[in-house]
Amino acid sequence: MKILFEKLLINYPYTIAVLLFSIGALIVVNKPNLFKKLIGINIMESSIFIMFVGGGYIRGGAVPAIEGGKSHSLYINPLPSALMLTGIVVSVSVTAFALALIFRLYKSYGTVDSNKIVKMRNEAMGE
Amino acid sequence: MISSITSNLPVFLIIIPLFLAFIIPTFARRLKLVEGLVISIEFIWLLGAVYLASIILKQSGQPIIYSMGGWQAPWGIELKIGSLSAFFMLVITGVSLPVAIFSKGNLVQEVGSKERASRFYVLLLLLGGAMAGMALTNDLFNTYVLVEVASISCCALVSIRKHPRASEAAFKYLILATLGSAFILGGIGYIFMLTGYLNMGFANIAMNQIWQNSPNAVWIAMTFVFIGFGVKAALFPLHVWLPDAHSNAPTPASAILSGLAVKGYILCYLKFMYDVFGPNLMMQFNMDKILVLAGMIAIIAGSLFALSQDELKRRLAYSTVAQIGYLFLGLGLMNQKGLTGMLFYLASHAVIKSALFLSAGSIITATGKKKISDLAGIGKKMPISMGVFTIASLGLIGIPLFSGFVGKWYLLLGSFESGNTLAAIIIILGSVLCAAYLLPIIRIAYFGEVSDDKVKDPALPQKIALLILALAVLVLGIIPGSVLELASRAAAELLMIQ
Repeated sequence: MKILFEKLLINYPYTIAVLLFSIGALIVVNKPNLFKKLIGINIMESSIFIMFVGGGYIRGGAVPAIEGGKSHSLYINPLPSALMLTGIVVSVSVTAFALALIFRLYKSYGTVDSNKIVKMRNEAMGE
Repeated sequence: MISSITSNLPVFLIIIPLFLAFIIPTFARRLKLVEGLVISIEFIWLLGAVYLASIILKQSGQPIIYSMGGWQAPWGIELKIGSLSAFFMLVITGVSLPVAIFSKGNLVQEVGSKERASRFYVLLLLLGGAMAGMALTNDLFNTYVLVEVASISCCALVSIRKHPRASEAAFKYLILATLGSAFILGGIGYIFMLTGYLNMGFANIAMNQIWQNSPNAVWIAMTFVFIGFGVKAALFPLHVWLPDAHSNAPTPASAILSGLAVKGYILCYLKFMYDVFGPNLMMQFNMDKILVLAGMIAIIAGSLFALSQDELKRRLAYSTVAQIGYLFLGLGLMNQKGLTGMLFYLASHAVIKSALFLSAGSIITATGKKKISDLAGIGKKMPISMGVFTIASLGLIGIPLFSGFVGKWYLLLGSFESGNTLAAIIIILGSVLCAAYLLPIIRIAYFGEVSDDKVKDPALPQKIALLILALAVLVLGIIPGSVLELASRAAAELLMIQ
């Protein structure tokens, strides 16, 4: 048990990533508010970004560039950070699109509560 | 000039649709021009895919590797053009062209305005380009980005009709699809950290060397990828977004979503399982058994849900859930015959489901009736639409001489070869259930009482598109020939049998 906690503490970026991922997934599933669902999605994606960037980081590593002819023994892996830039762009575009959809839903239903929307839609279908 | 085009053909196959997608908005109001341009580009695209397939069929053995920008792997990004990619390119282009022809002159009444209609073409081309990229790329992160491009275009295709229910379906789809891609990206992260490579070939070699050191991490990576693509490909019980999304989209969009988009994710999953983890690891972690089980459940559950629907498009959408089950079942069979059957069934389902959705859509737009029970006697008034619907239904059920039969036959052979009699029984039971939910529609349409309202078959482009698809169902069923050959080579390539 103690070893497990030590491992979790040493690998804290991954621990945080797992926690955030679970929190995000829980929000998406549990909260009826559409904005909150979107926030949950964003939290989930951020947790994956943290996992990637944490995976590329090496404690005591230097910036991966040779400066003034001096070389270091350890370098940080820049690839995951570069990948996550693309990941952030993707997540921003998803967010923008989802916000546009929420706006449209609000204009037609007058609410952002998914339970109420489902209820109103079912009533409209029943008529 | 010509030689530089043919030697860079794979890149052009991805770039041409993407490029056109981004210039269409500049002249979005001239719909006639947009339609003509899209159809001609789709045709050129199809010719390119056929040429690629002919090159692959002529040469036997190693797939062609194309390094983007001349940088070699693992530093550069690779495109890998093997039998699998060539086969899938044929499916994508072969289904997109009839759908583009069908949309000509037909979209405005369904989506509202000319600008909206040209937006549909933008999204169609974006989706096509992204799926071509998914078929050709050999890089994990590229796959993720292309999957995202594809799924955002899919959601936008659903929301293109300005109807509250369409927006609602699109939002649900977007949230679940993004949930899926978060899982996929997590899986890619695990693979990257375990192996240190993003190139599929290198990752596969490294993975098979080190998996014994950390089997739990490999197991987590597999689960993440399974859940992610399961959500995106609508594997039961992760299918909740599909019926709403596919039944609320405009007709050509639901054809392309149900026929193609879902298959793109299955192709990616196939690549992840066989090219990254490898058949050996799949067996070690019992992934083959899990996939067969998930497939069997999806076949039965999807068919039962389809039986209980009275809305035509929703019944077809649930039928897609059932057919996805066949594909996952074939994925898990892990032998040459099973995989050949799975790939051939993928192609035939792409053609059949587009034909079904397009003919059902033209019936719905002509009559304004969505319910199956209201469609009595429609077969006499719209002979071509209902005729194509009938041919496609028979194909989906798996009657001999129709394309679904060949795929199901090979799946059956594959499940007997792997000694899984239960899977064989489920495959046949699925066919019976499929007949149970499709044949009543045909019975009502042909033998129901003819009502008085005047409806007739759609205009010429729509008829041409429907007839092309119906012909494809018959041709694939009677002379599967080189398509089957390509599928069986792709299966051998996946299983690494030389």
